[in-house]
Amino acid sequence: MVMMLPFLTAAIALWLALMGKRGACLWLWLLTLIIFAVWCHQHMTGTLPISL
Amino acid sequence: MANYSTFQGHPLSRPLNCLALAGLCGVLLFAFAWQIHFNEPPCPLCLLQRAAFAMAGVGLLLNIRFGASPMHYGITIISALGGLFAAGRQVLLHIAPGDAGFGGPFLGLHFYTWAFIAFAALIVFCGVVLTFERFTQHYAPLPRAGFAAALVMWLFLLLTAANALSTTLECGFGPCPDDPTGYLWLSPGPGTK
Repeated sequence: MVMMLPFLTAAIALWLALMGKRGACLWLWLLTLIIFAVWCHQHMTGTLPISL
Repeated sequence: MANYSTFQGHPLSRPLNCLALAGLCGVLLFAFAWQIHFNEPPCPLCLLQRAAFAMAGVGLLLNIRFGASPMHYGITIISALGGLFAAGRQVLLHIAPGDAGFGGPFLGLHFYTWAFIAFAALIVFCGVVLTFERFTQHYAPLPRAGFAAALVMWLFLLLTAANALSTTLECGFGPCPDDPTGYLWLSPGPGTK
């Protein structure tokens, strides 16, 4: 799991938006969201300390 | 040849989106300053919240660059919901009595609690702006956004890229430890195994 990956893809998405490439930016954002969701799954499946 | 359209959004749309993006810049800058000044490398959930801020900024930046669109606001709202989820999870992780929480508090609240508030505020912002927003019909790059807007957009890109670099220094090209104490690529320690 490469933790820096969502920052990299988000930075590329932002760069593409600044360069006027809206479609490519949207796809990169979607890829970032997917990576974000997978990374969330990796880090949020433990037990919370609130069980009775 | 680029087909530049006239800006058809609400007159307040661009300034408000700029202001919100500047707010996100402030959040990322402050988190960076805290990380460096107090030598507190961010945990994986903290990094996920920062990534959500970066994703939310994409929608705001698109509104500034191409004009207002429901999709752009949707991007910001979905990203903020993701950040809200990550921040909420971290709040719950440290909610038990006696738990000191992760990192030092700022004005009595930990950063993940502030992040939860910031993501909620961002969703409220989108809701309020959407009540009076006028949407652009053609998504072509707009004429120059002015110095302040350009500065905010480039600063946000720079901060996102800086987070990519900082995370690489902290975790390399792998997962981050749950309770990091140092930077893997700078000074390998017990907390960065």
